Amino acid sequence: MKLITLLLLSLTAQSTWASEGFTWLHGVAVSTGLAEHTVTFIFTALIFIVGGLVYRMQTKSVEGSVVPDNKVSYRNVIEFIGEFIYKLAKETMGEKEARLYFPLMIFYFGYIFLNNLIGLVPGFLPPTENFNTGLALGIWIFLYYNAMGVKVQGLVGHIKHFAGPMLAMAPLIFVLEIISHAMRPLTLGLRIRGNMMGDHTVLAIFSDLVPYIVPLPFYLLGIFVCFMQAFVFTLLSMIYISMAVETHDHEEHAH
Amino acid sequence: MEGQGLIALAAAITIGLAALGGTAAQGKAASAALEGIARNPEAQGKIFTPMILGMALIESLVILGFVIAFMIQGKI
Repeated sequence: MKLITLLLLSLTAQSTWASEGFTWLHGVAVSTGLAEHTVTFIFTALIFIVGGLVYRMQTKSVEGSVVPDNKVSYRNVIEFIGEFIYKLAKETMGEKEARLYFPLMIFYFGYIFLNNLIGLVPGFLPPTENFNTGLALGIWIFLYYNAMGVKVQGLVGHIKHFAGPMLAMAPLIFVLEIISHAMRPLTLGLRIRGNMMGDHTVLAIFSDLVPYIVPLPFYLLGIFVCFMQAFVFTLLSMIYISMAVETHDHEEHAH
Repeated sequence: MEGQGLIALAAAITIGLAALGGTAAQGKAASAALEGIARNPEAQGKIFTPMILGMALIESLVILGFVIAFMIQGKI
């Protein structure tokens, strides 16, 4: 217990880059008494909502929602991302499940991507750099796929899923499965936190060394890392959900 | 203090070994995937997703190593 407390304390501590240097939302964070990453998280939520409303307005008319624009526009970019995630969901979960779980998955991808990207804007800290954010997102996925597993297969069916194929081996496998499932939200949160912190630290160090031109390749790398982490998070969530809701017995399990 | 140096060394060795093993395994996964793509370029889309998945699962153990290193570092 003491170890866990120590772990959580050391991981949730504000990063060293937060305490020094200028950030745009520092005044808001001080005046509201919230942590800096929480304020940034709310800020990105506002951007996300406004972006969604703008997209909704552009596709309001029946004719406008069917015919796509014939140039690179805001709407086409949004639809490109949506199509990309939908194709991924179809590949990993199957046609019927993809339709069901697509809204949550596109929210996760878009929101995490936006949260990662805002760290590349000078004067913003990415909220995903903090372990609390990643853990919150991971725990929600954990609760969601367990709830969906119970909903689709029933409570007994979902628990049977943990026991493995052989009855004699069940007590052993049950313990292993419980541990591996309990690790999932933790690793989801830690992966995004570690990668974003590493990326942001590299960027900060190179910007400190030479402020102009030299950090540019690291910005490119940063965009790639931002995309990759959002992608991996979404992909793993999809796999977890599809593993929890699959009705027929599969021999192979990825852990 | 002598103990502090040892703790710092322990943290460095932890993350170093974790990164060594993880990158070796990820390199193997990437090389196998690239070989598959080179032999059959059309399969790129189908190979890509399982490769990323495997890499993420390999990486999770490295991340656990990173957590341990972080905890050790917190004791300095």
